[in-house]
Amino acid sequence: MIELENITLIRDKNVILEELSAEFDKDKVYAVLGNNGVGKSSLAYIIMGLEDYRNYKGTIKFNGKSIDNKDTYERAKLGITLGWQEPARYDGLTTREYLNLGGKINASQKKLKKTLEIVGLSEHYLDRPVDGSLSGGERKRIELASAILLKPKVVILDEPDSGIDLMSTDMIERVLNHLKNSGTTVILITHREEISYMADEAYLMCGGKIIAEGQVDEIVSFYRDMCDSCSHINEPNKGGELNK
Amino acid sequence: MIERRYDEEYKKIAEYYNKSGGDASKFLRKDIVSVIISGNEVIGRNTVDGVDLKVEKIKNGIEMWLDIADNVVVENPVHLCTGYLKPEGTQEVLIHVKAGKQSKVSFLSHCVFPNGKKFTHRMISDSVLEEGAEIRYEDVHYHSEDGGVTVEAIYNAKLEKNARYDNSFHLTKTRVGKMKVEMKVDLGERASANIETKVYEKSDDSLNVLEELNLNGEGSSGIAKTTVFATENSEVNIVNRAFGNAPYSRGHIECNEIVKGNGVKVGTVPELYVKNEKAELTHEASIGRVNIKQLETLMAKGLTEEEATQLIVRGMLK
Repeated sequence: MIELENITLIRDKNVILEELSAEFDKDKVYAVLGNNGVGKSSLAYIIMGLEDYRNYKGTIKFNGKSIDNKDTYERAKLGITLGWQEPARYDGLTTREYLNLGGKINASQKKLKKTLEIVGLSEHYLDRPVDGSLSGGERKRIELASAILLKPKVVILDEPDSGIDLMSTDMIERVLNHLKNSGTTVILITHREEISYMADEAYLMCGGKIIAEGQVDEIVSFYRDMCDSCSHINEPNKGGELNK
Repeated sequence: MIERRYDEEYKKIAEYYNKSGGDASKFLRKDIVSVIISGNEVIGRNTVDGVDLKVEKIKNGIEMWLDIADNVVVENPVHLCTGYLKPEGTQEVLIHVKAGKQSKVSFLSHCVFPNGKKFTHRMISDSVLEEGAEIRYEDVHYHSEDGGVTVEAIYNAKLEKNARYDNSFHLTKTRVGKMKVEMKVDLGERASANIETKVYEKSDDSLNVLEELNLNGEGSSGIAKTTVFATENSEVNIVNRAFGNAPYSRGHIECNEIVKGNGVKVGTVPELYVKNEKAELTHEASIGRVNIKQLETLMAKGLTEEEATQLIVRGMLK
């Protein structure tokens, strides 16, 4: 469904992603695991084609066709979307307006209510503004609800649990199951092992590269043994034996 | 009550009043204070117990006095409608409001100038809020699409101890023309104010805004905020100013100018002056395109840049 071929991204003379290749197939949940600063969010942003992340080398294909020349909204039209690690806030827009994209989507009250239930919010949130009056966790849940309502073919969830209390990992699981059952491919960006276990397959990133891929158990085990206590973060060549 | 000879005029004004977001049916209710001005005439008025309303005709306009007695809480908002249906002319409206001790009142003011081609409207509102009084003022304008309307809207408010004043000016649905908005507030001990201007400019509209907080009383506080969406060849100059003159006075000024179009000329000047070491003033300003993260968040959901900008601005100017 999505293929990344030899992606290199250099910003301000810093290599952010280097010769990175990966494949994300239909109807699967993938974890992209790695410490902070290894390039996981940059991976999300180049797939989404954000303004400062379009000047990469290599090719991104969606269903076999290059999307390198496509704008962010054009990629979204194809069915790719992004759930942000720290979602933007909007003065004056209610949750209802935000979820309905100002009328672009016309989800019924029942549908909105049901979607909010999945992310653990009541329908009272529909009339609340998505501004600074919401906590980071509340805003994050609304972002997940938005991803569900869009019914995307591919969704990249960037640290979906950040800002949400530890007790709510079952909510994240509920969201992932819902997306998976709806036929959505999920790319789950995380640095937490317990979140990675919700995926079918995993990639491990370090220094802008994929350094391991395969079964979640193996990747998490490698991450736990080698990355948690790593003293040379972002220098993958100094790491242990890689299984790639 | 509308005088019969003004029936047709009233209908037209009511139509535009509704278009500007008002509810003209409220004008005819006995339990609502209302004043309807068309041109230089008062075509309808009503008041309730505790609110003394006096209106006089002046050269090119109307002067009115509204006195709210001590401890009176006016349940429904006072509806002020100022209309001018002719394409040319001048209209002056002078409003004097006195809110007695512990009184509470809100105003919904709509100014509709739907046909103005060479028309000037000048409004000066002076409000005095006695101890513990509260005034909420919302002024919504609806101008012609011709751009030939020139408006001066000047609000002065003096707040005594523990008084509260909120004033919000909106012009977001039609062309602006040439406009000056000035809000100046003097705050006494523990008084608080929140003043705000929101404008959507198009074509060659021109706007000058001055918002000023004079924090003269100990523990007084205020926020002055301006939000403008400037497009095409429009021009805007904003000054947000605060004086921290008393101990423990706190003020915040904020200006957000979103720009779209290569012909736009925008500027903002924040001015903070502290005359007391225990005063605290802050300011925040942004000028330029729509926040990129807000934009890209919506574009990642399938909105074009134009659609995303419109939605963001719609929220900000609401």
